[in-house]
Amino acid sequence: MSLAEVRSLCKSYPGFELRDVSFDLEPGRITGFIGRNGAGKTTTIKCMLNLVRPSSGGVSYFGMPLVGNEDAIKPRIGYSTGAVNYYPQKKIRDIVAVTRTFFPNWDEAAYREYLEIFAIDENKRPRELSEGMKVKFNLLLALSHRAEILILDEPTSGLDPFSREELIEDFKRLRDRGAAILFSTHIISDVEKCADDIAYISKGRLAAALPREDFRASFGSEGETLEETVIRMERSAANA
Amino acid sequence: MLKLLLAKEMKLTASALSYLFIALALLAFCPGYPILLGAFFVCLGIFQTFRSAREANDIVYSALLPVPKSSVVRGKYIFCVLIELCGFAVSAIATVVRMTALADAPAYRANALMNANPAFLGFMLLIFGLFNAIFVRGFFKTAREFTKPFIGFLAATFVTVFVAEALHHVPGLEAVNAFGFEHIGLQLAILAGGAALFVLLTLLSERSAMRRFEALDL
Repeated sequence: MSLAEVRSLCKSYPGFELRDVSFDLEPGRITGFIGRNGAGKTTTIKCMLNLVRPSSGGVSYFGMPLVGNEDAIKPRIGYSTGAVNYYPQKKIRDIVAVTRTFFPNWDEAAYREYLEIFAIDENKRPRELSEGMKVKFNLLLALSHRAEILILDEPTSGLDPFSREELIEDFKRLRDRGAAILFSTHIISDVEKCADDIAYISKGRLAAALPREDFRASFGSEGETLEETVIRMERSAANA
Repeated sequence: MLKLLLAKEMKLTASALSYLFIALALLAFCPGYPILLGAFFVCLGIFQTFRSAREANDIVYSALLPVPKSSVVRGKYIFCVLIELCGFAVSAIATVVRMTALADAPAYRANALMNANPAFLGFMLLIFGLFNAIFVRGFFKTAREFTKPFIGFLAATFVTVFVAEALHHVPGLEAVNAFGFEHIGLQLAILAGGAALFVLLTLLSERSAMRRFEALDL
């Protein structure tokens, strides 16, 4: 059974339209959400978090529609939206102290572990963090409450190669524990390293949502890397 | 959950000025001063919290918490009402002191402007209700823009202060500003009216702000 179902998501903005995006997130699988800047990745993710209201379509988690069940669903989801600078003047320790009260399943041991892995000093303030460290801080919050689903917008952007590598290993560990992970990225090599499924969005339309091997078989050419395949697909879409 | 949201407002979002400006409700002690402006200053303190909330990306952080999106609005309203009631309590204490222990103070006897009495407290609640209905509701139209809602509140407040200050000069309405307890019935009726309007404006605007925020793209 799918942990999350995205169904026929549509959203119109002046100059951009997200059209009929549908895919599922399965337990124990990592989905790489790829597409170029402005393709609709962040809009889709924001719809999945109820930050943006879709024009039509919807998102369900654990068999429940998100709208109307946020208090039941959100404690079971971890999410990070990049390097957003929350409460830049407050100490990280104080932000976490408040955040943890909202999550009945907060895992203090996991929090301490990721604090160490990401080398985050709790006495620092977000304004004192680099962009990469801000991403790590948001990930720290997302990973510290035993989420069954992780939805991460550009989690590896801005991270140094070592932290990216560690994060990808963490994704694999969480997948092995049964979590479903969706992460958007421009870094196709990260998808190649860990994704089981690929959701590829182009110009607001989901061009493919397939297991990685099926994606390669359907769109790839002999000897081509995933990155080369995606770039070729983008070019032919631009020329079409 | 609302307790958690209030704790979040107080620990992460609130500007220190929101708490400090509660003390300006003590303007109720000032003779020869339009004491209703004390209510305005309490609201100005709350406005500082909205400003710091915007700078701290508080709305997106709150919307990502495991609470219904509309609860973000309720958390803000609860915080506002708490500060307003603290300001009201301070002014109420000042009013009781002025009406009893300081009833015969020459400075108050010679006061040409509004006296501290239950009617004043009623108008104070009306100003708080206007803040909630115009500023807070207006803020949740975009969850970013607060200049226009604040200007709207400013205009409504100064009209209210002007009307309240002028009221007791209207023949037959002198009792609104009377000393002592002789006309306490009328003054308590104005207080009750102010309280009813405060509750009504707050509840209706909260409902409207929730609807606006639910439909808002962050």
